[in-house]
Amino acid sequence: MNRKLKEVFSPESVTVVGASNSPDKLGYHVMKSLVQGNYRGRIFPVNPKGEMIWGLRSYTSLRETPDDVDLAVIAVPASFVPGILHQCGQKRLKGVVLITAGFREIEDVKGEALEKEIGRIAEQYELPIIGPNTFGFVNQTFGVNASFTPELSLMKKGGVALISQSGGMCHLCGFLAIEQRMGVSKLMSLGNRLNVGFPEILKHLVEEDEATTVIALYIEGLDEPRGLLDAAASLRGRKPVIAYKAGKSEKGDSASRFHTGSLAGNYKIWKGALRQAGILEVTSSEELVDTAKVFDACPPIKGAHIAVLSGQAGPGMIAADAVEEAGLKLSRFAPGTQDRINRILPPIAIRTNPVDMGPTWYNAKNILDILEAVIEDEGTHGVIFLAVFASANVNLAKEMEEYIKGIAPFEKPVIACFTAPPGIWDDEIKGMDAKKGFAIIPTPERAAKAMGNLWKANLLGR
Amino acid sequence: MESKLAWEVEDMNMERLLLGVEALAFLEKKGFPVLKSSLARDENEAVSVASKIGFPVALKISSPDVVHKTETGGVVVSLKDEGEVRRAFKEIVDVFTANPPAKRLDGVMVQELGKGFELIIGTRKDPQFGPVLMFGLGGIFAEAMNDVAFRLIPIEAWDAKEMIEELKSYAVLKNPRKGTIDLPTIEKFLLQVSRLLEKHAEIQEMDLNPVFVTSKDIEICDARIRIV
Repeated sequence: MNRKLKEVFSPESVTVVGASNSPDKLGYHVMKSLVQGNYRGRIFPVNPKGEMIWGLRSYTSLRETPDDVDLAVIAVPASFVPGILHQCGQKRLKGVVLITAGFREIEDVKGEALEKEIGRIAEQYELPIIGPNTFGFVNQTFGVNASFTPELSLMKKGGVALISQSGGMCHLCGFLAIEQRMGVSKLMSLGNRLNVGFPEILKHLVEEDEATTVIALYIEGLDEPRGLLDAAASLRGRKPVIAYKAGKSEKGDSASRFHTGSLAGNYKIWKGALRQAGILEVTSSEELVDTAKVFDACPPIKGAHIAVLSGQAGPGMIAADAVEEAGLKLSRFAPGTQDRINRILPPIAIRTNPVDMGPTWYNAKNILDILEAVIEDEGTHGVIFLAVFASANVNLAKEMEEYIKGIAPFEKPVIACFTAPPGIWDDEIKGMDAKKGFAIIPTPERAAKAMGNLWKANLLGR
Repeated sequence: MESKLAWEVEDMNMERLLLGVEALAFLEKKGFPVLKSSLARDENEAVSVASKIGFPVALKISSPDVVHKTETGGVVVSLKDEGEVRRAFKEIVDVFTANPPAKRLDGVMVQELGKGFELIIGTRKDPQFGPVLMFGLGGIFAEAMNDVAFRLIPIEAWDAKEMIEELKSYAVLKNPRKGTIDLPTIEKFLLQVSRLLEKHAEIQEMDLNPVFVTSKDIEICDARIRIV
């Protein structure tokens, strides 16, 4: 099954079973995603009426479509699914995205039975199925949006693969990714995980997907978590894996007369097991996105010592606190580095770490010279750079953008906050974010946390 | 102690709970360090066992019907001589028999007094994860603060180290008020428990609580094991 996944995610042609002209049908939105999502392959809508759909000729059944279809996206009522899967198997499709819901996730026992039936069909034809009960997937590397959310095509192309057990969380993180300019390779919800679950996806992303540099998981609960954990442990150290686990309130076994039993909450075990498998746990949606983004954009961190540079003392102090909180330390500059800073900054502000660049804040050249000095400091492993807008320093972002264009990539992670009223630095932020080992994160606290996670993941890699 | 443990000759499908002396004997047989312990059926036996072990000793009620010994007045510690042992024996048996309903009494366990820092180490077969290992500090840390670390069995050396270091109460272990604690000894012990569970799939649940650790050794003071 796994060897087909590469082809499933990079289809030369897609058929949409249940394609529709009616916006109240999911098949309409899947067509919109494919047609408007820069997909360069062929699209074959299947619809019983055989009408034109999104300007394309449709077929009244899957059998009539051309022979060499790679992928079927299915959005028809559940009772039709077994028949359609047989046709997919007979046509030797590479795989299926099964959007249809109404399987084992529903209370009705018929759902469970139907899922077992499609499981047997999938096995018979060795057909990988993403779903059922999924919104689909987006592969930004290849350029295909096989989901019912066309807007997810707005995600920037990059190295983060976001794999979720929930469609809702996938959308939430996907939209955060757009807002935060996170570069995405693949985004998908695994739905009911019929035969493509976390272990299979993880292997695919680590072993077969060169564009993916970091893997972000959203996990709710698994009947057999060892599958994912063993896969992660066996792939440990090859690509960073981050996980956000839901369901923290579950308590231990209150019926157990053992201390261990009463303390063994499901989340507590997950927490330990994730670490054991080399997976970095995060505890919020924004931390998931920030951390994944920084992993993709920045070079690896080689130590725990961080320099904080700020235009104002306050944000610098906040960042310094957050650096400690994140398990990092403020670096102590070498005498040579301190001399370079002191030549630029008069002794009217704090010139040691965290550096208050206030006295020269309206001189972009000086600011960049300080940044350069700190990056070259041997005892500094990463830099947090804080720029809060002031009318008099409006040019800073532009100069920073130009500077970044002109340099070789940073060899240490540089995480920055560029905070301004909407519309002022937007273009500059877009122009320099995630370039040359440089990433922009909204607040000093989040920047420090993301930096801390870079370091923690190093330790998990072993 | 008998050469063959009761549970080993019984029907393997039956659930068995090993407590106190029996659990410690099982663990000792598997190569674990346990405090010297022996079951005494009467006062005279308690005295003779105590002199063999060496004072001071602790006396603990031994009954399949008593799970929480301390809470029910079934434990007396720091007994320094024969007279104290006799008094404590009577006291424990009196409290036990005074409290209805009638319970089975195996005797009273006489045990070498544990010294050092208290740990709790446990295992459990989780319905999803399979066998898991728990580590925490004794006293209020594990129970009231819920400060425990879990790993899936089997663990490796670095997992043991991380389990210790990730406790919120790690600072207490690292810098105890009195003396020092040998952390590598705890690591080795955790690995040994992990290996025991790998070999003995029949162990469903196990509490080693407390386990005493000092600057040079580690010893199990009490244990409870559920076997199917």
